[in-house]
Amino acid sequence: MKQINFKILMSLMLLAVCFGACKDKEYAIPTASDKLQNDLIKRSLGPNIVGGTIEFAYAAAILPEKGKISSMTVEASIAGATGTYLDNRFFNTNSSGADVGTAVGDPSVTNGKTTTVTYTGNFSASTLRYYYKIPEEARGKSISFTFTAKSSNGETISYQSGPHEIRNMDMALDLVAKDGTDFYLSIADMKLYDANFAAANPDKIDLVYLYRAPTNVTYLHSLVAPTADPIYLPTFTMPTGLKNRTKIVKAFTVRDQQLSRIQYGVFVDDVDLRSKDFTDAPDFAINMKVESGVWVQTADGKYNAYIYVNSVTNTASVKEMKLSIKRLAIR
Amino acid sequence: MKRILLIQFILVLFVVVSCKKDYPMDDDGLLITQRAECYVSSFELLGADFQTVRTKAATIDTTAQTINVEVFYGTDLKNLYPQFTLVVDAVLDPKIVGKVDFSDLSKPKEWTVVSGNRKVRKTYKVFLTVKQ
Repeated sequence: MKQINFKILMSLMLLAVCFGACKDKEYAIPTASDKLQNDLIKRSLGPNIVGGTIEFAYAAAILPEKGKISSMTVEASIAGATGTYLDNRFFNTNSSGADVGTAVGDPSVTNGKTTTVTYTGNFSASTLRYYYKIPEEARGKSISFTFTAKSSNGETISYQSGPHEIRNMDMALDLVAKDGTDFYLSIADMKLYDANFAAANPDKIDLVYLYRAPTNVTYLHSLVAPTADPIYLPTFTMPTGLKNRTKIVKAFTVRDQQLSRIQYGVFVDDVDLRSKDFTDAPDFAINMKVESGVWVQTADGKYNAYIYVNSVTNTASVKEMKLSIKRLAIR
Repeated sequence: MKRILLIQFILVLFVVVSCKKDYPMDDDGLLITQRAECYVSSFELLGADFQTVRTKAATIDTTAQTINVEVFYGTDLKNLYPQFTLVVDAVLDPKIVGKVDFSDLSKPKEWTVVSGNRKVRKTYKVFLTVKQ
């Protein structure tokens, strides 16, 4: 009898749990906080490189009956380079999909580590974009940011971001190698030079860009070290004195987003450059194609670099290759 | 009570016996089967950028046990990744675990195909030529 009572009790309890679990809670619109609020997203992706930009979107809002936004301020732990600013506009997307800006006040004022936009309009909510130009003194260090909003009723709110690690590598974009004119590449300088400079500074030249179209074989756009076998230098005589044996490893799917500025989410970072294995690497890369690249180590072992091919041109009058480089000093 | 225990013991014994597998495996944990076929069905050769370096399909002679492949002018012969496709259940010896140096064209690289039953072994030579 006791066992039966226990079973009935358990069944009733289970039934009660089922009914309770099935009961829907009616949705209610959440009540907005009556305090000043803020939020932040980091818009830029990938490694932070000196000379590059870190981009944020900082939002603040307060109930209109409580007050208006009076200012937004960003304080960086290391003062940004020239070009650091807090955009004084927030943006809406129009029916054509274009961003349309609305100014909230005068352009930002940067004073040392602090950048401020003072509101002059009547805004209770807005999102401003902050562009931090990474200075040389931040190389290899970490940076943090404090975003602060103030409202007309005296409230202040802040948002911390970071630490953000700044990489040791350097980047150079859109160098144009021209066959016959500017085709000597220096990794140390991340620049292309002509024959006169190369003859005067042979130690600086790490790679030579050549365009050739011999019969039977495919050569086209190629990057070769000064020490490359003459069979990889068709109809070209290397100037005397150029002797750097640069190590080259071809790559095809390394479409770094910062170098290519196309849709792929691939980023070459310090660790990739530092750990790249150049054992038995050759000193030539024949028939380079658009969106391909080469990993390079200079003859003195001082620099490892990744060179990405943005575009190639081989019209009747123009033979050239547009290159972008990430380079890390490894010793 | 004793009878129940005996039945349970017999059941456990059945389970243990039924789970025992007696399929033969090789050292790599691959199944040794009854197949005696032993040949290479296709061959690929990739460069350091993991793109093919072949100018055309490799010529595979299963009678002479040779593979002839022509590579592009300017191919870095020291850093190549060969890829073999073999008949079902066959394995390659030695295994390819990384890049292979083909730079000495006078000495063709050799790999042995071992059949599914691991009783037939055929050694293939890979001859490279560079397009000139």
